[in-house]
Amino acid sequence: MLYSIRAKLIASFIGVSLVVGAFSLVVGTRLLDRAVRSEALMRVSLDLNSARELYRARTKTIEVSLNITTLGYGFLVALKDRDVSDLIFRLGRMANYASLDFAGIVDDKGEPLCRSGPNAAPSRKNPVVNPITTFALGKGTCASGTFLLSHEFLFEENPQLAERARIDIIPTPGSHPGTKKAETAGLALGAAVPVVHEGELLGVLYGGVLLNRDTKIVDTVKDTVFHNEEYKGRSVGRATIFLGDVRISTNVPAQDGGRAIGTRSAAEVREHVLEGKERWTRRAPVISDWYITAYEPIEEFRGRVVGMLGVGVLDEKYNDMRWRTLSVFIFITVLGMLAAAAVGFFVAGRLTDPISRLIKASHEVTEGSLAPDIGPESGDEIGILQRAFKEMVGAVGRRRMESQNRLIMSEKQASVGRLAAGVAHEINNPLTGVLTYTHMLLRRRDLSQEVREDLQTIAEATERVRKIVKGLLDFSRQTTPDREKVDVNKLVSSTIALMENQALVKGVDVQFDSGENLPPVNMDRNQFQSVLLNILINGLDANKAGDRITVATKNSALVNEAGQEGVEISITDTGCGIPPEHLNKLFDPFFTTKEVGHGTGLGLAVSLGIVQRHGGSIRVQSEVGKGSTFTIWVPLEGRVV
Amino acid sequence: MKILAVDDERIVLESCKRVLGESFEVSLAKSADEAFESMGREVFSLILLDIKMPGKDGMTLMRQVKDRWPQIPVIIMSGYVTNETMEEVAKTDAATFLAKPFTPDELLQTVHQVLAKEEGHG
Repeated sequence: MLYSIRAKLIASFIGVSLVVGAFSLVVGTRLLDRAVRSEALMRVSLDLNSARELYRARTKTIEVSLNITTLGYGFLVALKDRDVSDLIFRLGRMANYASLDFAGIVDDKGEPLCRSGPNAAPSRKNPVVNPITTFALGKGTCASGTFLLSHEFLFEENPQLAERARIDIIPTPGSHPGTKKAETAGLALGAAVPVVHEGELLGVLYGGVLLNRDTKIVDTVKDTVFHNEEYKGRSVGRATIFLGDVRISTNVPAQDGGRAIGTRSAAEVREHVLEGKERWTRRAPVISDWYITAYEPIEEFRGRVVGMLGVGVLDEKYNDMRWRTLSVFIFITVLGMLAAAAVGFFVAGRLTDPISRLIKASHEVTEGSLAPDIGPESGDEIGILQRAFKEMVGAVGRRRMESQNRLIMSEKQASVGRLAAGVAHEINNPLTGVLTYTHMLLRRRDLSQEVREDLQTIAEATERVRKIVKGLLDFSRQTTPDREKVDVNKLVSSTIALMENQALVKGVDVQFDSGENLPPVNMDRNQFQSVLLNILINGLDANKAGDRITVATKNSALVNEAGQEGVEISITDTGCGIPPEHLNKLFDPFFTTKEVGHGTGLGLAVSLGIVQRHGGSIRVQSEVGKGSTFTIWVPLEGRVV
Repeated sequence: MKILAVDDERIVLESCKRVLGESFEVSLAKSADEAFESMGREVFSLILLDIKMPGKDGMTLMRQVKDRWPQIPVIIMSGYVTNETMEEVAKTDAATFLAKPFTPDELLQTVHQVLAKEEGHG
């Protein structure tokens, strides 16, 4: 049972710490998660901005290179003179310096004049449309940006470029369903600068870099934006350029370890960025890993959305960070639970130890000890329990003593009663003879005065013997009470009336303080009257002139062992009192302090017998020289004995 | 008038004879059997009967007497007054009960009262 209290306490402690721990774990993880994720999304969003700036800077570089070239005097002269070989030389040099994949010049009609690749001086008329130069030709101003170049244009420009641009599409799980097997068009960063001399348009210089399979931009992003950071042997940052939703330039690794060129973006990304034309930042799966990604659409120069620029940060890094924090949380929670269990064990011990002692003590009491060891008293509620237990043991002890005394008393009474009856029987027969012959002798008229007086003495002595024997017999006669409803106040009044004369003669004042609202008591009127009379006469004997006897009745606050309510009759005198050594023997048969011949010593014993047969009790308090109080307690419904 | 006193104690019998002898003819019996025999021979006006006697006790005799001579009044005597004896006596048809020891006056008074009552009935 005690183990279960201990277990319950420990369980409660653990439970509370578990709940608190779990709550803070959940809330903490949520908050952390949100913070980390928003931080990551913010970072990747900024990274995308940086990537875009790099992308634009590359475009700008191309435009600047072209512009510088057109400003050269030699170039102007060569173009004016249509010196193709010189122009080809200059184009080659420029393409080399600016790392261009292609460069060329068209005349004021848009016909190709020369270019940097093979077939440098085309002779074929009606060539494919050059999308880069169209705007510059029409408006006479510079144009730079992203251009979607057809396979034909690329082939015309340089068959190797067309070959580089061609990308086989690799089926990718989670991508938008499509049947296209390969991408042949190319995405390029390019610029076109019109060359004007003295108000006359001489031609347009164009050039650019093909982004298909290009590594420069994406790797620059990786190197500069992500500082080539690695996590568990893998690069943290990735950058990708999409044509449509196909990766044409990327450093996202493919399954085989190479670059994942030809794979496609998730359908979700395509939907939001390509079709929705919006910037999109989200945690998303990329090929085999999860990334925190950011995408934005790439628009063709003055045209539609043709691709996407995307960056991603490896989610695992953040995930691991989350897990590490979570582990710390879990560790703290478990530690808290262990501490709670330890504290619970200790507290339970503190609580249950005194209880165990109490249980042990109660076993000791059961086995008869009335002074069990309950250990040091606690200062809390258990202390109250301990004190209550002590008081209870004390009360049990007193009760036991009382009932033992009562038992001894009734044993005593019973044996004395039997003895008395036997003795009475034996004495009464010869006593009859003594009485008869004494009285017969006394009837004679011829007796001398002396003989008559002697005979008178014999008669009186015999009368005394007769009274003693009668007293013995009264004591042994355990008559069952003949009960009726009795008004106690009336009974007391009528009893006082019986002894008032005697009191008057002795000069003792008798007062009656009658209690109000006394219920009738079920008792034997005659027996109770003899009890009251006995105690009153005893009181009278112990008092002298000027003393006072007060009889009081009241409803008692006490109940007996059977739980019955009762009435108290107290008889208080101001007489000589009873010495303490006599108090215990007061109710013993034959105990008397009166002179020989003035009492049998049976009166109180008989009275106690009567009261006990009514289920009541008699209490005596006395102080030598001050007086005594006899308190009779009798239940309203006396038990049948 | 004849009175029969029954008691196993000689002193009691003699006391009865001494007190009642002046006014009545008193027969004595030391046991229940002896009393029964006497009653067969003579007619008594009253019987004084001790209820505690060795052998056949007073109660048995009382029943026999009341069976055969229901009209004869019986005074029961006893020096052993307990609840049980009082209850037993109450169950019989005894005229009255006289507790021992008694003075001559008490005995005479009781006997006269019982006889007067009987005469009143008769």
